[in-house]
Amino acid sequence: MWRRLLILVLALGVAFTLIGASQEVVTIRIVGFSGDTPMVEALLAHLRDLGKFPPNVEVVWEPEAKDMRERVLTDLAAETVADIYYIDVYWAEEAAKTGRLEPLNEYIARSEELGPDLRDVLLEPLVEAFEFDVNPDIPGKEIYAIAKDFNSLVIWYNKDYFQEAGVPFPDNDDTWDDFLRKARLVNERALSLKAAGGFAVNLNPDPVRYLPFAFANGMPFLLEDGCAPFGTPEAIEAAVFYTAPILGGFGATSADLGVGWPGAAFTAEKAALVNEGGWMLGPIMYDNPLLDFGAAFLPLTPDTKERANYLFTVGYAIPIFAEHKDLAFKVIEALTSFEAQLFMLERLAIPSRKALVEAPESPLVKPTNRFQEGAKVVFEATSQPGTRPFTFGAVGGGDYLGVLGEALTKIMVEKVPVVDAMKEAALELNRRMEARGLIAPGQCPTE
Amino acid sequence: MVRTVLGKGVRTLHPLALLKPQVLEEAGVAFILLLPLLWTLAVAFAYAFGRAVYFSFTDYDLFKTPEWVGLRNYTQLFKDYRFILAFIHTLTYAGIVTTFQTALALLLAVVVNRKIRGMTFFRASYYVPSISSSIVITLIFMWLVHRKGMVNFALTAIHQYHRHILLFLALVVILQAIQVLWERRHRLPAHPLDPVLLLISLLGATLGVVVASWTGLLGVAQVSPVEISWLTTERKFLGIPLPFLSIMALNIWTTVPTFMVIFLAGLQDVPRELYEVAELDGATYWQKLWYVTIPAIKPVMFLVVTLGLIGTLQVFDQIAITAGVAPLNSVITLAYYVYWNFFGSGTLPKVGLASAAALFLALLTLVVVLLQRRFGISEKGWYS
Repeated sequence: MWRRLLILVLALGVAFTLIGASQEVVTIRIVGFSGDTPMVEALLAHLRDLGKFPPNVEVVWEPEAKDMRERVLTDLAAETVADIYYIDVYWAEEAAKTGRLEPLNEYIARSEELGPDLRDVLLEPLVEAFEFDVNPDIPGKEIYAIAKDFNSLVIWYNKDYFQEAGVPFPDNDDTWDDFLRKARLVNERALSLKAAGGFAVNLNPDPVRYLPFAFANGMPFLLEDGCAPFGTPEAIEAAVFYTAPILGGFGATSADLGVGWPGAAFTAEKAALVNEGGWMLGPIMYDNPLLDFGAAFLPLTPDTKERANYLFTVGYAIPIFAEHKDLAFKVIEALTSFEAQLFMLERLAIPSRKALVEAPESPLVKPTNRFQEGAKVVFEATSQPGTRPFTFGAVGGGDYLGVLGEALTKIMVEKVPVVDAMKEAALELNRRMEARGLIAPGQCPTE
Repeated sequence: MVRTVLGKGVRTLHPLALLKPQVLEEAGVAFILLLPLLWTLAVAFAYAFGRAVYFSFTDYDLFKTPEWVGLRNYTQLFKDYRFILAFIHTLTYAGIVTTFQTALALLLAVVVNRKIRGMTFFRASYYVPSISSSIVITLIFMWLVHRKGMVNFALTAIHQYHRHILLFLALVVILQAIQVLWERRHRLPAHPLDPVLLLISLLGATLGVVVASWTGLLGVAQVSPVEISWLTTERKFLGIPLPFLSIMALNIWTTVPTFMVIFLAGLQDVPRELYEVAELDGATYWQKLWYVTIPAIKPVMFLVVTLGLIGTLQVFDQIAITAGVAPLNSVITLAYYVYWNFFGSGTLPKVGLASAAALFLALLTLVVVLLQRRFGISEKGWYS
């Protein structure tokens, strides 16, 4: 009898251990921008309800309030990592070069959700944005992150002010001259804009907004000899255009309008025109849902009718030290699934899946309200020729954007002549590249 | 012979006395109690410092194996124009901010040390900037120095009313002089800054300015508004970039109250008898301050100056917050240079160069504090 009891107890023990082991909960931690918290928490709840996560997985969102790049680099260096990180296209190559991000090609090849070829599932530029040849042990390019959504710049305009001024709305065929003419007229004629203490255009000394115009005008990223291009006629012409609203008195900076950024000025109806991305839609929907607005592509260069733009995107990446890489990829599959991206699209984010942005019934193809129309313009703007990923290679955005920002500030705030400010910006970038060993001493002018 | 502190007072012990069981027991207990602190120091300071020294002689980016490069990082530092700029900025910042914050803190402490009704309110008010969130304070400051902010508004007003101000000051001086001369002529002991006479002069000058304005003799100058962009400009004043001067002003504003409290504690320890003796000798208020108060609080002043120098040489927070809008070359300091090399975009961290710069900053801080102690204000008080 004792023997049978012993066997029974042992059997029960084994059964409980097996059940316990099979139900062991694995936590998958996602680290991303703290600003995404409301959207991500709602998305995670939605995906849990749909049962999209593996049954023994608990997904935990860890918002990072400070600099995401610093967080990723220090975590990767310390080898104390979460399972999934947001990787911004701005510094994705740098993170991949550490050798501590997991190449995802094999996972994609095995995936029913994202494979076997990611290009069949996501938009091509979004795949390329995270595809790098940085691992000497692996021939060719590897994919290091799966894009979650994307954005580009467009011109947002307040329809009421344009109608009041009797000026046609901005359209996709406008050139720089058309844009400036319309803005000047709205500033003169829209009396309610003046009454609100506003200006036709709200723009800041922001190099990210300026650069698409310079690239459209033919300015290369760097000159052929590797030197800074800001002193070229193309860069200077673009700077003249970009700063014209401020220097011409029909534009104001956000600070001068008493707001934090152009989106706030537009939402508060203190600006009739702003150059922003799809991230404008949320603030309008929540802060001024009755605002009658439209969106158009960035204006074309007057002579060559060229346009450029930036592709902003963020992807999910897995560190090589992550404990549960397969499960982490399963979570990424859920986060970029059709259902997840449809959920995001309903909240005005522009999803990375082809099926959602190209399907005939997609709001991005057949919008039914002005918010969806705005999202559609942003999506189409990304697809225009001349759109490039928001990356700065070895030069780095810190220096490239830093010296340009200082030049634009001098022009817009201190009224320094455009030529002087832009040529000084070129010299300063050359000095910084020389100090960092990116160019040889004497290779480029620094004085 | 060994001087040691065991039990009560300072005793001089023979070296062999240290081996006595009682001494060993006391030392053992002390060591055990100190262990947590020693462990923290060993890990957080000694180990980290040792690693930094090692990294400063290597080419290292956090991800590859450190490669020994000898003194290359140190020589590279002095070839980098931005490091030289950061070095000059750091010394300028330390010199100006430490001087002003010490002087203003002492002045405030002397003022709030008086026994006047309602002084507690003023003490608390002056201390508010020090206990407020640094982010909030920086945002308020950025709002003050904004292109359309209060500082530019005040400068515009001064520019517009400069004739009124000049007339007011001239009238005050003239009226005060007339009154003092009148009093003295009538053999009354009138001080040039006699408060009652000064009040009459101020009221008279105000009346004069109002009458001059009302009659149209004095008009408001038509000037364009001052719109200096204090944080984004590259303009300089006395060779110092305006954004950097703005950050100095911010730092002085936020640190003065803390040092004021330290000075206040020192002031309240000054024996009352010293002032009484000075008064018997006929010392004036300023003589008492200069010959009694300041010598008496020299140890406190040494503490304030030393803390001020260390804090200003290592300044980082306010530079990091304003560096987003200010031109980098206008505000960079050595501490920010270290950070900028570590997390500068477009490249993996330059740990070797950043470590070399950090060690240079540590050495600079040590040298400046020692020089200050040797040639400036020492910790020896009036009693020594």
